[in-house]
Amino acid sequence: MLGHSLGVGAAFVIPSLMPFRRRWRSLGVVLVVAVALLVSAPPEMTSGWLWATLRSASPILFVVVGETLTQLTGVINLGVEGQMLLGACVGFAVTVISQNPWLGLLAGSLAGLALSSLHMLLCVGLRTNAIASGVAVWVLGSGLSAYWGRAYVGQKISGLGAVVGELTPTILLSLLLVPVIGVLVYGTHTGLIWRAVGESIPASRSMGIRPWWVQMQGIGIGGLLSGLGGAALSVDYTLTWAENMTAGRGLVAVGLVIVARWNPFWACPAALLFGGSEALYLRLQSMGVEVSSYLLATLPYLLSLAVLVVSSATAQRGGMPQGLKGVFGSTG
Amino acid sequence: MSRRLLAAGFSRRQILQAGLMAGGAMLSASSWQRAQAQVNTKKIGYIYVGPQSDYGYNYSMDLGRQYVEKTLGVETTYFDNIPESAEVERVMERLIRDDHGIIFATSYGYLDHAITVGQKYPEVSFLHAGGLKLGANVGTYWADSDDAIYLAGMVAGSLSKTGKLGFLGAFQIPQVLRTINAFTMGAQSINPEATTTVVWTGAWLDPPKEAEVANALLDGGADVLAGQVDSPLTFAQTAERRGAYVVGKDVNVTEFAPKAWLTGASWNWGPMMVDLVKQIQGDTWKPEFVRGTLKGGDVVLDPFGPAVPSDVQAKVMAVKEQILSGAKVVWSGPILKQDGSEVVASGVKLPMETLESMNFLVKGVIGSAS
Repeated sequence: MLGHSLGVGAAFVIPSLMPFRRRWRSLGVVLVVAVALLVSAPPEMTSGWLWATLRSASPILFVVVGETLTQLTGVINLGVEGQMLLGACVGFAVTVISQNPWLGLLAGSLAGLALSSLHMLLCVGLRTNAIASGVAVWVLGSGLSAYWGRAYVGQKISGLGAVVGELTPTILLSLLLVPVIGVLVYGTHTGLIWRAVGESIPASRSMGIRPWWVQMQGIGIGGLLSGLGGAALSVDYTLTWAENMTAGRGLVAVGLVIVARWNPFWACPAALLFGGSEALYLRLQSMGVEVSSYLLATLPYLLSLAVLVVSSATAQRGGMPQGLKGVFGSTG
Repeated sequence: MSRRLLAAGFSRRQILQAGLMAGGAMLSASSWQRAQAQVNTKKIGYIYVGPQSDYGYNYSMDLGRQYVEKTLGVETTYFDNIPESAEVERVMERLIRDDHGIIFATSYGYLDHAITVGQKYPEVSFLHAGGLKLGANVGTYWADSDDAIYLAGMVAGSLSKTGKLGFLGAFQIPQVLRTINAFTMGAQSINPEATTTVVWTGAWLDPPKEAEVANALLDGGADVLAGQVDSPLTFAQTAERRGAYVVGKDVNVTEFAPKAWLTGASWNWGPMMVDLVKQIQGDTWKPEFVRGTLKGGDVVLDPFGPAVPSDVQAKVMAVKEQILSGAKVVWSGPILKQDGSEVVASGVKLPMETLESMNFLVKGVIGSAS
């Protein structure tokens, strides 16, 4: 147990000590350590914890990756909490109606996209304050999902099942999404344009880029992925819809974007760190550890904060898109 | 008196005016009394802290509302998701303005707000769930589920192969600690070695976390899950998927876990609510602490699932009869705390105050009581 815990710890610590530009190597280290841990058939409790980590991290991972993309284009969207809720609600409802969980996931993603289009309109189209617009989207999403979801509380669905062991399709999808988005951001022309808009709107405009269009794409993909994360929560993870079931996970994801330093690759360890420590504190209780449950419950937040402090202190640059510095005023 | 007021610089006219105003206030008070007779007790308002359709605590209260409406033919209105803050006073006033003469405030934190609003509207009757205080027009109602959950614990103790029971608790409050202790004592009456592992979720409703806790408890060797969170839905479904057993609380969710279901302790608020409303309508009601029981039918031991063998059913029903007849008291000693220290000695009943303010877990419970 101890050995594996140390191993998982190393998977987070080693890459964080590496310089920013060696991100490919650090990603490799994370993957190798994670696979080694999974394959080495650890004791019952540890393997249970590893699966639990993946289960609780994967819905958040979708949202972190999506919000990273949004913020890379220089806009912040606090509405992801509401988009997640609407995605969870619509995804569950469509699964109930169609009896097809895949259709549910698709519908949930589209619901997230649809709600995020309001943020596009308010924030990019009408240039309102991004924080205020995000909060409006959040409140709207939680209200709409509560209203529409009422009829679906207590309905039964059959989930997606598992691919291997306890690995469900949405866990796999969230893990595959990381390199795909990572390559898109750092390896393609499109990614370059997105980052250019996030760094400087006037400069990108002078290059013939239409910043508003890029930012709408960023918000839209963020909306799609947060809706998918919400649907994964209701359709694949809990097989339940309950009002306000995300319980702040969307906002945690916005925080984890900062912990991950606006890097889609880092989104994976950041989400795993949070999901893993959440699973860990619940499991420590189930093992009868004599510590107040209130103190244990702070573990996910303390660890994320610690990583944030360490990474801010060691990294040469913050990774924050320059455009975000002006986000508290307005966007372009 | 008036000389002293004169000396204080008040003119005679001012004193006269004040006297008139006081008389006017008395007059308006008596017009309040007249309004009291006219209050519409055929319109009843309900306020819930969570979603009405949560398949848990709030749903159980709403089932009571539906029963009242059907039985008495009265008009009811409900507001759900109302926080335990000044917000609930606003909702109460809104109901009163809309001619509601009776208000059910169904969440623990509504009590002080009900008393405040009650002082302002003495003609309206308030009924609060589980409160330990009364107002001139605020009574409380509750039902103790300890007996039923003790019997459910007996079933869990009989069916568990590992002797390890898992429990999901929301918060360390007396009502939840009582449930855990009664459940564990019931299980230990069958298997003295049985233990209950408690994991606190820190929220009344967080399905993803509840699913994760259920998985953690099952990974740790528990083979029966019970809990007291907003709704048993999530942990019951997780138990069903993992091939474990489940004991429900608040609402019967058999249909969601047909194989896993053992039994449960459910509320049955309807008859108690009807009784209270009838008393208010007949002008015989006075604010008091109404506390229902298993015997009165306010709490129900849910029907057994197919996994429970008939000899276990017979044994549990025999103890249920003893409880109903008063021959068996669940909260009687010896009761030991987790550390082995004695709360009450053999044959002694636990005092009411200790019960209502319970802050400990009994021996055999693994988990923190604070």
